[in-house]
Amino acid sequence: MAGRGKLIAVIGDEDTCTGFLLGGIGELNKNRKPNFLVVEKDTSITEIEETFKSFLARSDIGIILINQFIAEMIRHAIDAHMQSIPAVLEIPSKEHPYDASKDSILRRAKGMFSAEDFR
Amino acid sequence: MGLDPVSVNLDQKLLEFMDQLELLEEKRQRLNSLIEEGWFNISKARYSMGNKQVSALQFASEIEPQICVHSSLSEKGNVEFKCERTEPKTEELEPSGTVENIGPKEGGLRRRTKIKQKETTVEETSKCEKESQDSIKSEKSPCQHQDPLKWFGILVPQNLKQAQAAFKEVITLSAEIATLQSAILATRMEMQTQMKEKHKIQSVLEG
Repeated sequence: MAGRGKLIAVIGDEDTCTGFLLGGIGELNKNRKPNFLVVEKDTSITEIEETFKSFLARSDIGIILINQFIAEMIRHAIDAHMQSIPAVLEIPSKEHPYDASKDSILRRAKGMFSAEDFR
Repeated sequence: MGLDPVSVNLDQKLLEFMDQLELLEEKRQRLNSLIEEGWFNISKARYSMGNKQVSALQFASEIEPQICVHSSLSEKGNVEFKCERTEPKTEELEPSGTVENIGPKEGGLRRRTKIKQKETTVEETSKCEKESQDSIKSEKSPCQHQDPLKWFGILVPQNLKQAQAAFKEVITLSAEIATLQSAILATRMEMQTQMKEKHKIQSVLEG
């Protein structure tokens, strides 16, 4: 592993993963566990959720990048993650452009201006 | 009548919060356009190389990260992420290691007469030793930090290189966005605590 820094993990479609791996973030550790998951048509939601949770549990991961349409499938798991490390970043995918209104962080920030906060 | 310090502080935080959101929006737009550019170049490379030549099947069996993020907790309580790229070591080693093996092993003319046979045998043995050492060296330095571009072939199209450059920039940008998101959440927390303080003061004044 490079230095003492943390890794960047990716959960996304084939092209997203290929792109980020080209960028040099990929890793296969000693247990042959990758820091990425290529989501295909037949990938189940439970598999995605388990991988996401395993990335959250890994201490060597600093940022998790996830396609927004995949994040939508496991929204409850993403909303439940409140720690700042690893940071979860929602990115667009080829078929689904980025929608800020669906982003967990922005929805939390928007919650600041709800009626509850001004009471 | 002037505003109380809590309200002034709250206003400042709100402005800071808005600035951060604006910056996030800008960075998001840049990230989205870069990712799009990357995909477009991957698709172009796929078109020129063949449909199955740029896919997950080409990923290497040994993958080493070339980039890592350093996280540090700032004074305000938000996390800062900084990307660090490790330079590929093999690129420096390759010329000295491989060129020697390919080039002529003996310089100059070879002396074929059997005069000084003993000397030549000594020279040959020393050369053999050197060669074996070189081969050991080249075996010892396999591509630990191999460029992921080489998974897809040696002579890859320019588009794939452009895609790689775009995604490298996306990675550094994503670290910046992660820092900004953390800062936004920290500001939000501060605002909430100050809002509670303000409510307390108001209730005391009313009561």
